[in-house]
Amino acid sequence: MAAAIETTKLTKGYKSRIHGTVNVVDKLDLHVEEGEIFGFLGPNGAGKTTTIKMLLGIIYPTSGEGYVLGKEIGDMDVHRLISYVPERPYYYEYMTGMELLKFYGSLFGITDVKKFEALLEKVNLHRDASKTISQYSKGMQQRVGLAQSLLNDPKLLFLDEPTGGLDPIAHREIRDLILSFRDEGRTVFISSHELSEVELICDRVAIINRGVIERQGKLSDLLSGGRVEISAEGVPTQFISDMKINDANVRAIPGGVLLDMPEEADITAVIDAVRAQKGKLLSIVPRKKRLEDLFVETVRDKSVAPAAAKKTLTVESGDKP
Amino acid sequence: MRPIISIASTTLGEAIRRKVLLIILLIGILFLVIAPGLGVLSARSETTVLRGMLLGVIQLTSAVIAVVLTVYMIPNEIERRTIYTILSKPVQRWQFLVGKYLGAVLSLGLMMVLMTTVMAFTFYLQQRDFTAVPELVKAPVMYFVQMSLLAALAVFFSTFVAPLVNFFLSGGMYILGSLFNPFFQTLDQSPTTPLGAKIAAKLVNVILPNFANYNVQNPIINPGQSIANEGAYYFQVSVYGLFYIGILLVGGILVFDRREV
Repeated sequence: MAAAIETTKLTKGYKSRIHGTVNVVDKLDLHVEEGEIFGFLGPNGAGKTTTIKMLLGIIYPTSGEGYVLGKEIGDMDVHRLISYVPERPYYYEYMTGMELLKFYGSLFGITDVKKFEALLEKVNLHRDASKTISQYSKGMQQRVGLAQSLLNDPKLLFLDEPTGGLDPIAHREIRDLILSFRDEGRTVFISSHELSEVELICDRVAIINRGVIERQGKLSDLLSGGRVEISAEGVPTQFISDMKINDANVRAIPGGVLLDMPEEADITAVIDAVRAQKGKLLSIVPRKKRLEDLFVETVRDKSVAPAAAKKTLTVESGDKP
Repeated sequence: MRPIISIASTTLGEAIRRKVLLIILLIGILFLVIAPGLGVLSARSETTVLRGMLLGVIQLTSAVIAVVLTVYMIPNEIERRTIYTILSKPVQRWQFLVGKYLGAVLSLGLMMVLMTTVMAFTFYLQQRDFTAVPELVKAPVMYFVQMSLLAALAVFFSTFVAPLVNFFLSGGMYILGSLFNPFFQTLDQSPTTPLGAKIAAKLVNVILPNFANYNVQNPIINPGQSIANEGAYYFQVSVYGLFYIGILLVGGILVFDRREV
């Protein structure tokens, strides 16, 4: 599949009197395929908005290269094919929803009122077209922002925190709109903190931390490797520990032992061992890996010393066998 | 051209709704309306004082509006992030800057037309002499060129300095260019001026926009004075103003084009 966005070692540095040059985005290699919803995740100050601004040609990279829809970033031709909705957007408050679309439409040379009406209907604002932006709620402002972003029938949309600060109903409306963009064959690049939202709608994600891409790939691949919790009684904790299951945690619980292990580990061996010890199996609970877990693990790992971060079999309680 | 017109009309739409500008405008209009009553404070001829006060109020109010309107124009767009939605469309940075400038000049022109109309009415009601009104209106026309130049200066500075600094920088240059430019000119042309001072005066003369060119109120206020070849003078200083505005806008575009927003 063709790449909608492709960057190679894209870097943005700022000069600081104290720290010298600080790279807020460092050697970014990003690959976004056409027609997918791509989640760009990271903590505050990770470099998400800086990356988007570079891709839009609003700020200039210090080094590296980037291509948007096959053209070098900053190419004005690309601006006819892309759209951007910034985080907490501000639109001219004195304008009505319709006037706002007319203004942004005029920047493309679009004057078709029917098109503006259709877009307002698409974002469910057709009944509020004559209200001024100052009368719009946050959710309505976000929706009118999405309407303006569709004026040029874009192939690629950049949405910076599209659901930030919205109530659950507005969340749902925006999410449905974003999903409809994919159905229409558009590529959507979302920068967000709303991990549950991203998990629901994104095909692929990248996690950026301190300007560096830590993980990138299909959501299904990144979230593979869930865990399984097995609880049993009548089995000594040390016995389970001695099985040396990689990346497993064993701890004593009232009346038994709890084993937390990767789902790909040999569950049958554990069950057989419990039976062999004449123990009683209490429960086997599979736990799917969530994006939030992956995100926290990725971001936290960077701030923990490698030796401490390395996972090994550990016994957390001194339960005597 | 279309993006420039759209951005200019949006800037106009915003400017005429900005409370601070409307308050300054209202204060200006209030002073224009009460100006005839203030004439008693001076011992000079009533007509002379009235003309001087009316033109003075228009010039001062327009200058304050020009600076307040333009110093926040670009920084506000960046702070509110509206600039991102505009520059992510097929709009070049120069188009954005020129559109903003033209919008500011349009707003300024609109407000000056309003003040000039109030001035003309006030003068007519006081003097009952309509024939003197066209003569009086010549000065605001020249002030408009002066304010357009001041707006260009403030837009130029707004591409690289903070609004407050810009306020004092543009305002300061306006005062210097209005009051001291004739002094520097005299210094430059005087045969007795030492060479070093002459070079410095010339340099200031070239760099500093000559706002004094547009202070044409003296012949209007004092009927005894006149500008030799008035039409040619107005044309010449208008061309000078347009040329200077062009230079300032090109300078602003060059800075803004590389600026990280």
